Parts: sequence; C-alpha cells; structure tokens
Amino acid sequence: MAKRVIIVDDSRAVIATAELALDQMISSGVIEFKSYLNPAELLSALQAGSENFDLLISDVNMPQMNGLDLARSIKMDDRYKTKPIIILTTESSEQMKMAGKEIGVTGWMVKPFSDDKLVKSLKMVLGV
Amino acid sequence: MNDIKLLIVDDVEDNRLILKAICRKIEGFEIREACDGIEALESVEEWHPHIILMDVMMPRLDGFEASKIIKKRYPETVIMAVTAVMDPHMEANMAQIGVGAYIHKPIDKELIRFKLKNFGDFIRSKGGDYKKLSPKKALNPFCSDVRNFKTIFEIGDAEAMMDFGMWILTQCENKIVASCYRVDSSIELLYELMRQGTRDNRSMSIIIEESFEEIFVTMKFAEAIPSHPRVAMLLEDLGENSIVQDNIACIRIRISDETKVQKAAVAPVQKPAEEAVLQSLMQHEIPKSGMVENTPDVIKEKRVIDTEEKEMLRQSFVHKTAAIDYVRDIGGDVLDEIRDLESLDEEWGEKLRIFDSEPTVENLRDFADGVLGIYVRGINNLFEFTALAYALSSLGTFLKEHADLVTQDRAKIKTLVMLLEHLGLDLVSWREHIFALQDTADIHYLDSSFFSSCMQIEGIIGNKELDVDDDNDMEFF
Repeated sequence: MAKRVIIVDDSRAVIATAELALDQMISSGVIEFKSYLNPAELLSALQAGSENFDLLISDVNMPQMNGLDLARSIKMDDRYKTKPIIILTTESSEQMKMAGKEIGVTGWMVKPFSDDKLVKSLKMVLGV
Repeated sequence: MNDIKLLIVDDVEDNRLILKAICRKIEGFEIREACDGIEALESVEEWHPHIILMDVMMPRLDGFEASKIIKKRYPETVIMAVTAVMDPHMEANMAQIGVGAYIHKPIDKELIRFKLKNFGDFIRSKGGDYKKLSPKKALNPFCSDVRNFKTIFEIGDAEAMMDFGMWILTQCENKIVASCYRVDSSIELLYELMRQGTRDNRSMSIIIEESFEEIFVTMKFAEAIPSHPRVAMLLEDLGENSIVQDNIACIRIRISDETKVQKAAVAPVQKPAEEAVLQSLMQHEIPKSGMVENTPDVIKEKRVIDTEEKEMLRQSFVHKTAAIDYVRDIGGDVLDEIRDLESLDEEWGEKLRIFDSEPTVENLRDFADGVLGIYVRGINNLFEFTALAYALSSLGTFLKEHADLVTQDRAKIKTLVMLLEHLGLDLVSWREHIFALQDTADIHYLDSSFFSSCMQIEGIIGNKELDVDDDNDMEFF
C-alpha cells in the first residue's frame, strides 16, 4: 500500500519542486503525496482524525505557525508520536537542529535540497 | 546651503513631482522645473543650473534636441537623460552630444540620488566648475573615453560584497543584459577576487568607470593577489578583457551588442600601454571626495552558488523584525512600492500565459525583464529585502541566459510555467503576510526559502542536480 507523505510548507514553489523530485515515487504508487500550505490547517485535520500520514515533511519558518511547534504538537498526540517527521528548511544552525532533536523529529534537511537526497531519505525513513 | 542647482525637465507633471520628491532628499540641492525643451532652454539661460534631469520624449522640443543646444552653449552643464525607452542608439547619440548619464524609468530612487550626489560632490570639489575628466584620469587600461563620474566601493565584509554584487548586476540589467558579453565569467571573477581580497579581515577598493558600452572595474587589493586556480581559469576565459598584476585587477565588462550599437569611440585594448597604466594605478590614491556609498539594487546572472554564499544569505536574517513593527516604521512611499508590486501580479500571470501559448525566447525574456526585473527593482526599493531581490534577479538572468535551451523542450516549458506560477503566488502571499495581515513574527521568514526555490528552479530547468556541497545539509537523529 502506498505510504502517505505529507509536506507542509507555506511556499507553493517548494511544494512543487518537492513533488517534482518525488514524481517517480508518486507515479509508481510507492507513495501518495499531499501538501498543506498552512500548518494550522494540517494540525486541526490531524487532531480531528481526518488526516493521517506515514511521513511528514515540514518547513520551519511559516507565518501562521513555526514548524517545530507543529512537530511538538503532533508528537504530543499518542496517535502520531511514533510517526517520522523530517524538517526541510533553510535553517541550518546547530541550535535549531538540537531543538528539533529534542522534540523528536527524525531528520533535518537543509534547502535547497538535492532531488536525489530527498528521494533517498524518504526511502530510508519509510523503508521502501 | 543649497549650492547645487538642479533642473527637472519633464512634460508630465506627475513625473516632475516624483523626481522632485526623490531629489529633495539630497542635501544642498536647489530644484526648479521645466515642462518641455523650450522651457528648459529658458531656464538654462536665466538660472544656469549645474545638473539637468532631462526627459527625452517631450512636445515642442524634445530632450535630445534641447540637450544638444544646452551642451553647445554650456558644455559644463551635467545632463542626465531620464527615459523609459532603453534604446542603445539613443544612448549612443546622447553620448556623442555629451550627455553624461542615463536613468531608466521606472525610476530607481536610490540610484538617481546616488548619481546626483556623486555629481554634486564632484561639482563642489571643482569649486562649482564642472569639467569632464581628462583622458589621463581614466584608471582602467582599456579605454580612456570614460564618463565623467566614478563610483567607488570599499569592500571589507560579506555585506559590502553583496552590495557591490547587487550594484554591478543592476548596471548590467539596466543596460540590456540580454546582449551582455560574458557577464557570467566577469561577475564570477569579480566575486572570486573579492573573496580573495577580503580574506583575513582585509579590505579592498573597487573603482568603477563607465562608457556607454562598457563598465570598467578596477580592483585594488591590500596585497598582491595570490594565485588561485578558479581565478586563473576565469582570467583565461576573459582573455584580453581582464588584466591582473600584483595588487591590481582590471576587468572590462561589455554591456551592449557591438553589432547593434553605433561605436562610441571606444579604444581597443592597448597592450603596450598596460604596464605603464598599471604602474600608475598602483600608486593611485583613491579620492574620498565626490564618491558615495554603494546602492544595492537589481539583477544577477547565473553562476554556481556555493556554501559560503548561502551562509552569507542566511546570516542576513539573524535579526528578527515583526511585520507589524516593520510596517508601522516604514514611510508612506514604501507602501506605494507595495501597490506597484501588487499591480504587477496581473502582468506576471499574463506574460506567463503568453509564454506558455507561444514559448519563444523573446517571450521568456519579456517575462524576465518586464515582470521579474521590475519586481526586483520594487523589492529593492523596500530596502529590507535585498536577499529576496537577489534571488529573483538571479532567476531572471538565468532564464534569459537559458531561454534557448528552455524553449526547445515542451515538457520543460510546462514545468517552468508551473513553477513560476507558484513562485508568483508565493510572492502574493509574502506581501499579504507582511504588509496586509502583518501577522508574521519575522519579515524575513520567506527570504531564504525564496532563494532556495529560485535555485531549485534553476536546477530543474538547467537539468542540474543541485549539488549543495554541504556536509550539514542532511542529518538524521
């Protein structure tokens, strides 16, 4: 069954480039791809139980909500606390990464990303 | 004391008002107006202005004819042509009658203030008696027929490097970058040399001279330039357009297509004279008066962006300003810039649709110049968002340079149109969060992301896997 990958990023261009990078995985049915521009919207959908994921890829700097706050809220929910979250951001400071690690995110990728690395990371985390 | 007399000539009242508002902020300028060439002549006879900002297209007597008469009678008057039409022939004609500078509409406020202040300082340093620099005073070894102002940059840190980069790219952009000659290599060489020159907290100077067809960049370093493989390669690539010796480097950037532009007396490279000129350069003391700080602005061309530069861009977002505070503190004319940007949204979509249905090189360049280029100028006028402007300008230049490649591939055209549509919507949302909703805690929240997106788009369209070349770019916990 296709793994459900959600990306949350306030930039449409980032979502579009990620979707292009994952094109083969999507078209071959390995993953299904869903995107959110607004982290608050994703969080409510998750809390309401109308959304679910096998892997979440999240930006950090978004106007409505910081990606790390989003990850923290998700990780506090028993339904999702074991689900992998990868941060995809231009932030690369050790301090930020440590904050992410403490929250329990699985990995940290710095933008701009290489298509190859994004695909490899997904495969590794999802075990596909 | 208002000791510099400035005359603004334009037949459109609104344009005069805008120019007046811009120029009023320069200290020491007394300003008068004229609404066509005839009035300009009358004012020149009666008032003897030092500097004239001259619109070109006007009824009764146009800017070209008026300038010709004024320069004949009062050759010391500085005339800057202001026009929306970027016509190399007109520029060459203006050059022949001695018009010393060109300002393109839409007007870049900072650039115009910068140039005027330069002229003002120069006139003052000459005791009000403005004279063209004698050929002997041209610093560069390539061409003695340079325009009568120089621009000097003191480069001591990454920020100054960025500002200079922005400035030089603006110059190229303002002067028809589509026909630029080897700007790629020139810019990369300048960048590499600046990196070398600013190592270990050293600083360096850059002196710019211009003719109507070329920019001459003279770099003076604190010490002799060490040999560097990339620099050597770029020097070879530029051939006779660059000279490096000891602690001096001179680079000549051609900014117009020689086959289209009437040659405006540009001397060929004179190899035998090089050494002598370089000798004099090394002893040359950089004058402090008559020179102003840099003006960051528009467009950059495609080149490899390495980790160091990415870090540089990331560092600029360290301080955080909330949108609500930013908007409260900015002046009304900045909000006008936002309205100008808003009015570009439609154009963004329209020019993309035109390119999508008729994917020609011209239509892509039209998007890059007519939309991206103008957007970048607008963002630069907001002052706070140079990194964002840098990213978009980089993309614009990339598109123009790769227009041939892109337009041959239908799939690529579709992808590009899709990505640019998304980017346009991202800009709309960026404006909304900062200026309308004012709900973001950091006005730079999207800068680096835009930068990243522009690089990704360049990677996708240029068929290049992005080699981020950064050990830090992926980490699993």
